[in-house]
Amino acid sequence: MKHLLLKLEPIIWLLFGAGLSIGTMLLTGFVIVVGLAIPMGLVDPSALAYPRAHALASSWLGRLVVLGLIALPLWKGAHHIRSLSVDFNGGDRDGAVGGLLYLAAGICSVLGIIAVAQL
Amino acid sequence: MAGAAHPEAMAPPKKGPTRTAPPQMPESWWGAPRIRTYLLFGATGIVYFLAGTVVLKLAWALGTGPEAWDRALGDLSHPLYLVFHALTLVSLIFVGVRAFGTMMPKMQPRNGPLPVLAAGTVKGLIFGAWAALTVLLGLILAGKIFP
Amino acid sequence: MAESNRHMRVEILRFDPDKDEVPKSQEYEIPVEEDWKVLDAINYIKDEVDPSVSHRWSCRMAVCGSCGMMVNGEPKLTCKTSLADYEGSIKIEPLANFPIVRDLVVDMDGFMDKFRKVKPWIVRAKERAEDMENLNEKGTYSQSPAELATFKQFSMCINCLLCYAACPVIANEPDFIGPAAIALGHRYNLDSRDEGDRGRNEIFRGEGTAFSCSFANECSEVCPKNVDPAAAVNQAKLGAVVDWAKGLILPREGA
Repeated sequence: MKHLLLKLEPIIWLLFGAGLSIGTMLLTGFVIVVGLAIPMGLVDPSALAYPRAHALASSWLGRLVVLGLIALPLWKGAHHIRSLSVDFNGGDRDGAVGGLLYLAAGICSVLGIIAVAQL
Repeated sequence: MAGAAHPEAMAPPKKGPTRTAPPQMPESWWGAPRIRTYLLFGATGIVYFLAGTVVLKLAWALGTGPEAWDRALGDLSHPLYLVFHALTLVSLIFVGVRAFGTMMPKMQPRNGPLPVLAAGTVKGLIFGAWAALTVLLGLILAGKIFP
Repeated sequence: MAESNRHMRVEILRFDPDKDEVPKSQEYEIPVEEDWKVLDAINYIKDEVDPSVSHRWSCRMAVCGSCGMMVNGEPKLTCKTSLADYEGSIKIEPLANFPIVRDLVVDMDGFMDKFRKVKPWIVRAKERAEDMENLNEKGTYSQSPAELATFKQFSMCINCLLCYAACPVIANEPDFIGPAAIALGHRYNLDSRDEGDRGRNEIFRGEGTAFSCSFANECSEVCPKNVDPAAAVNQAKLGAVVDWAKGLILPREGA
């Protein structure tokens, strides 16, 4: 197990980079409308009534975007929390904190794939 | 100086003939505005991670059925969700400005097959893409496009 | 020239390996001139007040890279830092993240070791004697100004080690090969005459752990020669990832 994270570093870094760039770009519009505008009543909630929401999300591009919205922020988050944990306690980069974070991000990404497949 | 660095930081491969004092952390570590910005940038990771799980919950509800979807969407009106999403938006803008404005323009490969563009041009392209995607996705989700 | 009446309190971190358990600071009150650099103040103390103060310096013009120290907690080339920018008192310490040999002198051997790991020289696939078809009539490898421009910035490093003293990752992770060494390795990876990318990329991905860099950008903030090591490190990461992905897809000679 030792050095497993260090071996996986290129792929982790790619996922992190995608989360940082594409994740940020996708999440901004999503959070503005779904997270803030609709709950605050600024946008008519009927726009995301089940039939339309389902139709949007279940197209191929829709599924891809939803999966991106789930997985990319998770990997960006996991990687940043790991580096923060190294900064704060001077911990081991190859240690359990990073492993657990990536495990969580991985499990949630798999759940995301299942969720998208169920649409 | 602000406490000890890792005792092996920049340690020589072979121990020298004289005793050395252990390496110290730079004092700027906690106090300096730049380091504080850097740590906050890392801390947005927590917000991103949670935001990903919120979308996962929504997508799961959408797959489950109309009632579950309406309940999940209704939950988002809870003040806690609103505060969290406001924080997420602030984090997204902070991350975007730092990552797209200062970090990514520096990372352009210089010896690849692609032409090397001026940092300002790269910055403009990335910010343009961010704005365009945000507006496009926002309008679609708000029902203004593809109603 | 009129004698200036400005006085300054200079605090220096002292460490004598024969006497001291831990470094301790010592204060000096000295007259300073308006145009002095921080290095002039340290030299004045050594010459006129306390000859036991040890520090490294040479060229006085930001070329040799010897006089890097922490000035009020920030890594600085002391020959390039004006005293006029500081009010009343100033605190001078040896570079952070390095073992302290004596007073303001740090042990550079750890850096030299990391430095060697990136093979900072031109690596060719073939020995020079067998490489005749690539040599020009002068017996050297040709390079155009445009090819030079791709890496010139990264070759301006003077090894002053300020980036290592500023790096939050070096402070916690001794294996990290660090800003200046990766910047130099990347400089050779970008060099059109070099063919050693693969070996260096392996070092970046492996024992050098270039991915430990969390892009705090501190190295570039403190670099006195505008090398921008953070750019080099992150371009190097990207290069190492592309190289890794290629290795998965394409078969490789001798792999």
